[in-house]
Amino acid sequence: MSVAALGAMIVHLKKFRKYVLPALAATLLLWGASTISRVDLGAFLAGIPRGITLFGHMLPPQWEDFPGLIGPALETVQIAFVGTVLGAALAFLIGLLAAGNLSPHRAVRELARGALTAERALPDLIIILFFVAIVGLGAFPGVMAVAVCSIGMLGKLFADAFEEVDPKPLEAMAAVGATKAQIIRYAVLPQVFPSLIANTLYRFDVNIRMSIFLGVVGAGGIGFHLVMSMRLLQYREAMASILVILVLVVLCEKLSDAFRRRILGQEVLR
Amino acid sequence: MITVKGLSKKLPDGTLLLKDINFQVEKGEFVALFGESGVGKTVLLRCVNGLTVPDNGEVVINGDGNPQRINGKKGKELRRIRRRIGMIFQGSNLVKRLSVLENVMTGRLGWISPARSLLYGFTDKEVDRALEALAKVGVKHLAFRRAETLSGGEMQRVAIARAILQEPYLLLADEPVASLDPKNAEVVLDYLKPLTEQMAIIGVFHHLDIVRKYCTRAIGIKDGVVAYDGKPDVSPEVLSAVYGSRPPVWPVAAGQ
Repeated sequence: MSVAALGAMIVHLKKFRKYVLPALAATLLLWGASTISRVDLGAFLAGIPRGITLFGHMLPPQWEDFPGLIGPALETVQIAFVGTVLGAALAFLIGLLAAGNLSPHRAVRELARGALTAERALPDLIIILFFVAIVGLGAFPGVMAVAVCSIGMLGKLFADAFEEVDPKPLEAMAAVGATKAQIIRYAVLPQVFPSLIANTLYRFDVNIRMSIFLGVVGAGGIGFHLVMSMRLLQYREAMASILVILVLVVLCEKLSDAFRRRILGQEVLR
Repeated sequence: MITVKGLSKKLPDGTLLLKDINFQVEKGEFVALFGESGVGKTVLLRCVNGLTVPDNGEVVINGDGNPQRINGKKGKELRRIRRRIGMIFQGSNLVKRLSVLENVMTGRLGWISPARSLLYGFTDKEVDRALEALAKVGVKHLAFRRAETLSGGEMQRVAIARAILQEPYLLLADEPVASLDPKNAEVVLDYLKPLTEQMAIIGVFHHLDIVRKYCTRAIGIKDGVVAYDGKPDVSPEVLSAVYGSRPPVWPVAAGQ
């Protein structure tokens, strides 16, 4: 065998190990997992006509239901709004403890970081069910759940923002005899303000969806109406709820976008 | 007014940066600290207001006939002393996203009750004083601009106004004009100089002609001790002594 042929073979071998083997392994894994979770294309195809029939039952939407849905829709927005504000406030405090440059002690920082990570690791559904279990059905457990579910993400983002501030103004404030709280108010807050607002608004968008979903587990709002209609096989009512939800999501996103631009837009311009 | 006695400071890596620093500065003096870079001038300034804690020795501030030792002070006591010691940094260290006026008013933070400063902000009287201080350094017209939109020289003048609002006994200036062009450096120094009527100023400077023109006294640091303490008109022999074997590198004159 010539040297060139040997070289070519080695290249082939390398390519085989680099591309073909991983592709084979991935295919095998995917096939195995689909079999175990019973992915059945036949069942899906058979279900399509049923889906079309169901959709047919949903039309036309129960128009006369709309006025009655405005209240629950507002409740959904309120749950998301109050929950986001409460969650952001708590996340701000925990974020201060979790920021290396502002935390009173290393151990406190690690503890706060650990708590935030734990909250993020905990599935939202468990938190929701927990609050429904301890405070009962209605909007209040929804607000609590939205708040707590926001803390993990916002707390981490806030803490990271705090850690990234320019330390020099902080030192200047310390040099004039300012307290830690004053330093945070006058040197840290102005620096992190845009990031706090942007992240909180993003979380509000997430929380609107979460708040709709909350109705499903009994925490009030428009989601509750949707689930009840579906359970009672009132598909035209369900369609009305779905339409309201769609409008709600789009409206809230537009609103927070406008707010974002108003607050942060002028930052960029100035 | 301020006495530094037997001050020493070890770096985290174990080198003894400041060994035994002794000097006294009175109101009305404008003292220039000089010496090779890395000799510990900045550390010395920071030891004076407690931003850095010295290992040994003491710093005593006596602004109102009631001497205060800064070493070992913490919390409220430390803040009480610091509120009457101004500090100007090379980079101004303004809060860039606050207005110029707000930046100046932060000079009052050590004076007003923390609760009020957090909840209500500043009073009209404090705003007036801040505007007055800005007028004193010739940048009143910039009061409502954001600090980040200012030039380096303007920022440094705002930093001076911030220090004025502290009503300090002592002003520490760590290379306040090092990052400015010669013309702006002179402007800033022209505003600093008259402040010595109310306080003492200790600054780090690298331009011999600045020291000659503005300062009343020069202190040279070498090998952790005061190697020269005397008239600002430092002789070439002293310069080579303080700057060691290397020829003294005093950059070209400001304003020329």
